Amino acid sequence: MKRLVLLLLFVAGLLAPAQAARLISQVSNDSVEITSSFDGERMNFFGTIVPDVGSAEAITGPFQVVVVVLGPTQNRIARQMTNNFGIWSNTGQLEFKNFPSYFHVLSSGRLSEITDITTLTTNYILPESHTLVVNTDDWWRSAVYGQQLVRLMTEQGLFGVQENGVNFLSDTFYSARLTLPSNAPPGPYIALTYVFKHGAIIARRSEGFAVRKIGFERFLALSSTQQPLLYGLVCVLLALVTGWFGGVLFKR
Amino acid sequence: MQIYLPIAEMSVNLFFLVGIGGAVGFLSGLFGVGGGFLLTPLLIFSGVPVPVAVASVTGQVVAASTSGALAHYRRGAVDLHLAMYLVLSGVLGAFGGVAVFALLRDAGQLDLVISLGFLILLGSVGTLMLVESSRAILKQRKGIVVRERLPNQHNWIHGLPMRVRFKKSRLYISVLPVLVIGLFIGFVGSLLGIGGGFIMVPALVYLLRVPGNVVIGTSLAQVVAMMAATTVLHAVQSQSVDILLAFCLMVGGTAGAQFGASAGKYLRGEQLRGLLALLVLAVAIRFGLSLVITPSDLFSMAVVGGMR
Repeated sequence: MKRLVLLLLFVAGLLAPAQAARLISQVSNDSVEITSSFDGERMNFFGTIVPDVGSAEAITGPFQVVVVVLGPTQNRIARQMTNNFGIWSNTGQLEFKNFPSYFHVLSSGRLSEITDITTLTTNYILPESHTLVVNTDDWWRSAVYGQQLVRLMTEQGLFGVQENGVNFLSDTFYSARLTLPSNAPPGPYIALTYVFKHGAIIARRSEGFAVRKIGFERFLALSSTQQPLLYGLVCVLLALVTGWFGGVLFKR
Repeated sequence: MQIYLPIAEMSVNLFFLVGIGGAVGFLSGLFGVGGGFLLTPLLIFSGVPVPVAVASVTGQVVAASTSGALAHYRRGAVDLHLAMYLVLSGVLGAFGGVAVFALLRDAGQLDLVISLGFLILLGSVGTLMLVESSRAILKQRKGIVVRERLPNQHNWIHGLPMRVRFKKSRLYISVLPVLVIGLFIGFVGSLLGIGGGFIMVPALVYLLRVPGNVVIGTSLAQVVAMMAATTVLHAVQSQSVDILLAFCLMVGGTAGAQFGASAGKYLRGEQLRGLLALLVLAVAIRFGLSLVITPSDLFSMAVVGGMR
């Protein structure tokens, strides 16, 4: 009996801070439309931290907010070149299954000051944490390839960490700005928002938005996969007509 | 002005695309080649994914060769019979090339094979053309009248079995070398994203002794038909033909080709061949260096399978 009470107290103690605050948040666009002139899109994430329903105590800061934006996952391969007999060629490769095609972290301060490395890794807030799930006997190799893959993705603008990306406009109201690059892969995206207080997560929320091709671009992309034969024939016809018309136009 | 390419999934400057299409089109009109061997590397160097670049350029080569092929056809300078044999074997070769293309892409060796392929092919063809054209230029300077090879001069290749008469080319030769040439060019063309005109013309002239008045027309007709088939194959198998990318290149290419063709009238044949040889060698050296020089980044990445 005494142990049960202790356990209940312990559980209550664990849950209490998480229940005390609630996050109300919003994404500026719930769909990003890729048109022919698509050149990236600016997005805003904002929200406010409010006391939980039924909680009488006022909430006090200081809070830290981390917004993690995740793109659709793909299987991605990292390859390494080595020099054999004077010629550089790909000799080693490692596949990362279900690797995010887009990953950006916006935070209101330095991640290392917000919380400890374990919390960051287990919640997949650090880019490197996505490379740790590879099943391989050779963990050193997977660590090297994973680190290089994150670097390559960062150079493409698909991965990134902005440690001043979230601004607090008041003690409890924040806003964050993210520019999606033009090479952002289409698909479903998730924005995960974590509220930290003294290094612990006290509230979290996830929102989805979609990046998708619309209109003519969507039509082209769909027909290339659903009617590939017809698509190919139309390509050839277009080429023949363009070539013929060019000849007529310039009277060759 | 940026334009979003739906298959390559990136946005590129429209004027850049039309510009390189036009520049390459000018050179292709000048030299009477498809220009794929210049466009594919240019697109790859400017960040277009290798499969999309190779597959889309095949579409552009169709457009670039169409007006030339039509013009030659009206003049009666196309041996359709010979072209048919070349196209049939070429399409077979293209099937093989597209399949090998997919295999290599999955194994991560596509870039290496493309670089090696361009180096060997362009290097050897470029050297041969340079030697031949500089000899012709030197001989002409010395005042020696160059004797044209007679079309009915035979070599051992013509004596192989299964002889067929090609009326327009005034040839009665074995079809085996014709089929081998078609097969080889179909395979290499679909693998490297080139029309293969710069291999086809020397092969027809030096191996089959096809007379000069039908060589270019027949080669162009073959390129149009074979590249059209390759485009459809790429569209079906790898689904990496970007129609917008191809169209931008076509518009630039067909316009540029007309100016190139008019500029070509001011140069003599051997001068043109010499310049083309230098151009081909430059591209070969560029690919050769990329194999030998330590790359700026030892690591690369690729997506396997589709989006989940």
